[in-house]
Amino acid sequence: MDRKAKVSEILNKKHAVHPPCICPGGMMNMITTELLNEGGYSFREAHTNGVLMASLAEYAYQQGCFENVGVPFCMTVEAEQFGAEVELGDNTKEPRVVKYCLESFNDVEKLEGFRLEEGRMKATLDAIKRLREEDLDAPVIGNLTGPISVASSIMDPNLFYVGLNKKSEEAHRLMEIVTRELIRFGQAMIDAGADVIMIADPSGTGEIMGPKYFEEYTVKYLNDLIDGMNTENVVTIVHICGKMTPVLKETNHIKSDVLSFDAIVSLKKIREFMGDRLIMGNVSTYAIEGNTSDNVKRLAQNCIKQGMDIVSPACGLGMGSPLKNVRAVLEGVEQCQV
Amino acid sequence: MDKMELFSEISEAVKEMEDEDVEDLCEKSLEEGIDPTETIREGLIKGMSLVSELYETGEYFLPEVLTASFALNAGLDILKPHIKQEETGAQVKVVIGVVEGDTHDIGKNLVKIMCESVGFEVYDLGRDVPLDDFVNVAKEKNCDFICMSTLMTTTMGGMRTVIDKLKEQGIRDQFKVIIGGGPISQKFADEIGADGYSVDAAAAVKKMKELKGIA
Repeated sequence: MDRKAKVSEILNKKHAVHPPCICPGGMMNMITTELLNEGGYSFREAHTNGVLMASLAEYAYQQGCFENVGVPFCMTVEAEQFGAEVELGDNTKEPRVVKYCLESFNDVEKLEGFRLEEGRMKATLDAIKRLREEDLDAPVIGNLTGPISVASSIMDPNLFYVGLNKKSEEAHRLMEIVTRELIRFGQAMIDAGADVIMIADPSGTGEIMGPKYFEEYTVKYLNDLIDGMNTENVVTIVHICGKMTPVLKETNHIKSDVLSFDAIVSLKKIREFMGDRLIMGNVSTYAIEGNTSDNVKRLAQNCIKQGMDIVSPACGLGMGSPLKNVRAVLEGVEQCQV
Repeated sequence: MDKMELFSEISEAVKEMEDEDVEDLCEKSLEEGIDPTETIREGLIKGMSLVSELYETGEYFLPEVLTASFALNAGLDILKPHIKQEETGAQVKVVIGVVEGDTHDIGKNLVKIMCESVGFEVYDLGRDVPLDDFVNVAKEKNCDFICMSTLMTTTMGGMRTVIDKLKEQGIRDQFKVIIGGGPISQKFADEIGADGYSVDAAAAVKKMKELKGIA
């Protein structure tokens, strides 16, 4: 199937009158404090229990936030399975890694493979299965943390980033192991019924890595990950945060069906490098958190007018974003007259 | 070897991120009886300021800056034990950290490195730092600056809390408070009564020098 046709068929389950408007999950999830409290959910429990995870994802969708369901709601599931210590947070704070598990590159071979039948990995896969069985009129999105972001969550990022330069053999070995395991988790999501695999790799952004390492590590392992899964019938999206302007050429080498950008990058600039590739983005999350709902609507409509293929928040939503503003993204898209 | 030539080789080795060369050259400076404080200032720190320049112009990125700072520290480890006690009192002292609830510390680490590259003494509290720690360490170490960073909107409020704590204790004027991070703006800095905001690591150091009246 043609890539555009595939994306349009999978993402436009409901209707094709306007571009799809999604908030995939993972680091870019649609869950906010207000939503949790209105629905009576405990975020902590939803991170660990597949039934609640699925229920919360569906609740957010039913509340008029975006045209998809997506799990999990954080980017710590993979790091935790590798052995990093995670604090799950509460209804106002997202989970975060509090202790790394690799002291140095010497420990790389000690990493054990993901146990897909245990812990939050199992919960995530269970949630995808349940959402699939619900047969909603919205795509089910499985979210993976990108290879660089996982690697720099299991090892002190300072050591990791220095290693890219000084210990490239060991750094590549670490990236191979991380990517190999991510492929297993991603394939399991597809097998469980995910329509879309979203990979977010904020720590691999060109703004941090610079063009050389962005190509050598970020692009390489994102592509290995995409190539390693059977993605014939699923849409793949890659999101990278930050100022990507210095690495737009290299970004175009990423093989995902869709690329998602931060609000800092203008679509005009993106098109210069990417032509008619499918681009997703980029309603400012600061506006969603702190501006009026009318302005959020206008920003969403601007995305469409400028030719965005899929409308979404530019990055992870702040937990304190008002529900009214979160809903305004989709409302703006639905009301848009192009 | 001429002293100046040695300094310039050290600077170059820091810039080129060659930690072993930096170590060898620093050892050599000691063998030749060169004052270690001068080697630090004219060799290591000069090298690190070359690195900041390359970062500002977009030739170096975080991996290069971090690797160079490792080389700088390798040199400092060799030279510092040879400095006489009374000379170690750094002119500007900084306490820095990522506020409680947030673990994004790349920006903070860059500011720390840039501060060290101009010779400031930095107390790094790390990330996810309890708000009281900023106040306590600043008092204990008699710091000039309290630097706080966050990438998340949810944790921005912690910066205001720290400033309020300083006010409650009647010591607000003893410290300059500098804040930064993705969601932070000059407007927010004004709102919470911070002394400065900076958009990136290089600007942070400029701002601090400006506030201290250092050229």
